[in-house]
Amino acid sequence: MTWIDFANLLINGLIEGLVVALPALAMTLVMGVNRFPNAATGDLLTTGAYAAVAVQMLGGVPLWLAALASVATTAAVSAGSYQLIFRKLAGRPMVASMLAAIGLGFLLRSLISFFAGHDQRTFDMPLVRAWNFGGIRILPTDLLIAAIAAACLLVVFVLIYRTSFGRQLRAVADSADLARASGIRAGGLMLCLWLLVGALSSISGVLLGMKAIVTPEMGWESLIPAFAAMVLGGIGSPLGAVLGALLLCVVQELSVPLLGPSYKLVLSFLVLALVLLLRPAGILGRVQLVR
Amino acid sequence: MQRRNFVKLGAAAAALQCLPSIGFSQQGEVFRIGSLTPITGAGSPYGPGMQQAIRLAVDEVNAAGGAGGRKLELFTEDDQTKPDAAVLAAKKLIEVNKVQAVLGTWASGVTLAVMPLTEAAGIVQMNVSGAPAISTLDTRDLVWRFQATNDRFGAAFAEICAKRGFKRPATMAFNNASGLGNVEGFTRVWEKRGGKVAAHVTYEPSRPSYRSELQKILAAKPDVIVMGSYLPDTTIILREWFQSGADNKWVIPGWAANPDLVKALGPEVCEGIISVETVSNEKSTSYAQFDAAFTKATGKAASTNIYAAMAYDMVISLALAMEAAGPKATVEQVNARLREVSNAPGTAVYSFAEGKAQLGKKAKVNYEGASSKLDFDKFGDATPDFGVFVIEKGQLVRRDVVSITM
Repeated sequence: MTWIDFANLLINGLIEGLVVALPALAMTLVMGVNRFPNAATGDLLTTGAYAAVAVQMLGGVPLWLAALASVATTAAVSAGSYQLIFRKLAGRPMVASMLAAIGLGFLLRSLISFFAGHDQRTFDMPLVRAWNFGGIRILPTDLLIAAIAAACLLVVFVLIYRTSFGRQLRAVADSADLARASGIRAGGLMLCLWLLVGALSSISGVLLGMKAIVTPEMGWESLIPAFAAMVLGGIGSPLGAVLGALLLCVVQELSVPLLGPSYKLVLSFLVLALVLLLRPAGILGRVQLVR
Repeated sequence: MQRRNFVKLGAAAAALQCLPSIGFSQQGEVFRIGSLTPITGAGSPYGPGMQQAIRLAVDEVNAAGGAGGRKLELFTEDDQTKPDAAVLAAKKLIEVNKVQAVLGTWASGVTLAVMPLTEAAGIVQMNVSGAPAISTLDTRDLVWRFQATNDRFGAAFAEICAKRGFKRPATMAFNNASGLGNVEGFTRVWEKRGGKVAAHVTYEPSRPSYRSELQKILAAKPDVIVMGSYLPDTTIILREWFQSGADNKWVIPGWAANPDLVKALGPEVCEGIISVETVSNEKSTSYAQFDAAFTKATGKAASTNIYAAMAYDMVISLALAMEAAGPKATVEQVNARLREVSNAPGTAVYSFAEGKAQLGKKAKVNYEGASSKLDFDKFGDATPDFGVFVIEKGQLVRRDVVSITM
């Protein structure tokens, strides 16, 4: 192993981390505001990927246009699921919403496999050879994926920390009662949040589909890494979710020369366990958020 | 009045059709066969054809006057390519239909789930599954496999790599019995020939990227990478391999390197990939006869479904064993004759009628099947020939057929 090999692994880890960061962020937003782990995040991601595949199959649509259509569809599905299910469970214990989310996930996955079957799908996009900088290989597609993911993260952070939507959201996250007392109306705000969550999930589905393949199980399988990243970063902390995802994926990749690829996942969970032992709130979490 | 009688008669006839066991039991003894193939689920491209092939073979045996003085009677069920559904269906076949053989399980998981039931009932089980464990778990020698094991696929990979002059192979395997079985079989035979394997990587399923795995294997500079993989992971690995710009060759099992892979990646990425799949016993007259019957019944050539020929052979070899065991033989006595009628030595026969005639003359027969020469080893496993397909301009072109000896 030379430093070039390590550099390549580091780059892989960062790109994977950016892809995992999007669903982790979507989960942590719901966790921070609605206070339940949204287990349907993964299947919203799958919905997004299949929506893009479906639009592409309708005929010669470029991927970016299909992705935009998929963002609209998935945001609608996400907001609709809030309006029909999670809004009504808001006062109940966390478990009720969580179980409902698991059910919603199953429903979405079954609908997808019923209509699209279990065969794998791929996006219609050109394959480009890697750039080689003295042994450090960078795939242009990966660079594009990383750039899109980073841009999305940036947009979300600007929304949360620089707009009145974000201020209101954070106010509700801190204390729903206090926010209501100061005249923040939760209804529209929540719908906007769920539209955002749907859009984020959809983009991460399309990115994952560009990198790997589109199958009905893809979202379900990426749920656990996203969940781990969220916990690692500190539940409810948007920046923490992104840092958690990057850290987990980089550690996973760098462990390959030591442990081999079979134990990647195990090691990333070891990191998770260690961080939680030393710092139970996660990297950026605040203790009062963990109730 | 006449019309009423006609309706009554029709109803009676229909009822008899629904209850074939009553219809036959009046004519004498029967041997009951259960067809348990994947009509739905992941095996559904193959299951219906297999069921059709079993039906064709049953009709052929019955048309020749039955085997060992008995007619065959067929019951069909769908195993849904799911172990739980298969167990329910097998229970129904065994307990309600009282079948004496369960034929046609496809997925290894399904066969492994059904085996304990058929073994407990003391009846014959015939399958086309790949998992090596099936051989060793079959303690009563009642299980017969018509497809090559994953281990034998690996042995064929080694034969092909040697024939094509590769020097530095590396292996990649999906972390399960099938994937590891492939590459372990390859490594065993390759090292026995005095070769060395440059590197090996076992990878976990459903990763968004396999770049670090590829980096590790490409660091050993292999001239060929031998895979034990499935379609989804192969798609991701090959895409990243192509993008990285390496130029080694690939040997991949046929269930992963197929037209779907070409569809997903395009012809440029797939150019030159060597895909290995078992092939039917195409030069034999038994295959020619089966192909004609299958094409007539389904409108598709037998080459579109290699498992159909295997399913057909299941019934023919079983019927020959019944004929050899004679009238009133128990399932156990019939089972004990299976190897004898299929393996050398003996007069080569290519159909049930031919075999029946030879057995009538007290000659020893060796059934040469439509799917393979059908020689069972001590585990009850047959070894079909392997077709070597090279992907050229997006088409799988057959370049060679190799046989392995175990």
